[in-house]
Amino acid sequence: MQISDPYIEMRTGPGRGYPIFFVAPRNDWIEIELRHTDWFRVRTEDDKVGWVSRQQLETTLTAAGGTKTFRDVLLDDYLTRKVQLGAAWGHFKAEPFLKLWTSYRFSDTLSIEGTIGQVQGVFSGTDLWHVDVLIEPWSDKRISPFFGVGLGKFKNFPNLSLIGVQTTDAKLGVARVGVRYYLSERFVMSADYALYTALLSDIKSTEYRAWTAGLSFFF
Amino acid sequence: MNNKTLCKALPAIALAGMGCAALAQRTPPANNDQVVIPEVDRRDIEKPKFPSNDFEVGLFTGTYATQNFGSSWVYGARIGYHITEDFFVEGVYGQTKVSDELFRRILPGGIFATTSEKLAYYNFSAGYNLFPGEIFIGGRRARPSQFYIVGGVGSTKFADQRKPTFNFGFGYRVYLADWIALQLDLRDHVFSLDLLGRRESTQNVELTGGLTVYF
Repeated sequence: MQISDPYIEMRTGPGRGYPIFFVAPRNDWIEIELRHTDWFRVRTEDDKVGWVSRQQLETTLTAAGGTKTFRDVLLDDYLTRKVQLGAAWGHFKAEPFLKLWTSYRFSDTLSIEGTIGQVQGVFSGTDLWHVDVLIEPWSDKRISPFFGVGLGKFKNFPNLSLIGVQTTDAKLGVARVGVRYYLSERFVMSADYALYTALLSDIKSTEYRAWTAGLSFFF
Repeated sequence: MNNKTLCKALPAIALAGMGCAALAQRTPPANNDQVVIPEVDRRDIEKPKFPSNDFEVGLFTGTYATQNFGSSWVYGARIGYHITEDFFVEGVYGQTKVSDELFRRILPGGIFATTSEKLAYYNFSAGYNLFPGEIFIGGRRARPSQFYIVGGVGSTKFADQRKPTFNFGFGYRVYLADWIALQLDLRDHVFSLDLLGRRESTQNVELTGGLTVYF
């Protein structure tokens, strides 16, 4: 493709600290071979290969060159990022709780999230998973609350040194409320409070409360 | 000039004057031409999908020092994603065989049911490339490198106990090519263990080296 930014600086490596060894002016033809994080490996017509940052290629890479500001491009970028992955740490009924989750955003406000978690207590451990529907009414705000409900499964097994206890296998329902803080274009911090209801049998259910906080990022 | 002609001429002069004013507003003087002609290049290009290699998978091996039980050979695998130039996340699974041979010398029967127990761990960690740089191999070759710090949470399964585990450490990564890197890691795994009579927090240091492929 043809460079439409005033010039691009080619570096020896994919990082801001690597030296610039060549500058290619506007209207030169380049070929983009590879992307690594925010850096593009570029080959010029006379076979010089170097790494160029995304910022410097922004208008070159925009469909209608020059009509968009850098901020617009960032916003577009952000809106095309739909898949998020995160991990959180917290307490599940006063025991340490680790969870890993991934979510897919259907629209600005609606997303679906899958969570796997593990509670590691002194006497027993619990594995659980659930799939939630999340609503985030003010997702354009930097600090934005969200609400969710979901269903999943729950398996509790005691540490082997205890005698005469059984593993518990149950379905669970979960209701969540939390808040997200958008740190940057890619990173999000979140904290949430969840109320788990384990349906142990037709007539018996137990409730657990969990607090977690963690970090996530958009792919 | 008589009255009649003046009456006719006045509106005409007024109109002409207005026209002139309007003209003056519409066309700038010729010598005040636009100084900078914006080089806006409107193109209709379809932004192609560029090949990228933000993901990594790797294998590693090294030594894992289990507190009170000596060190043993560890091996494992990692999968990671490089979010930006500075940050990455990774998930690691590793396992090792821990022996209680030292205890068996003075304590017939030992600690474990068998002479060795499997220790397996997994963790999810976030890393920061603290000192990115370059290494020079000979006089003609330079390869990118990164010194990174890393930390995270996970779980360790050892002697039928599953323990929440924190890990932190640092590492060094050298890119042999754009798609492959050599990686050295020093990590401390901190978890509590109830094996020697009392529940206590243990520090388990691991030193590994491995190869990582980017895709």
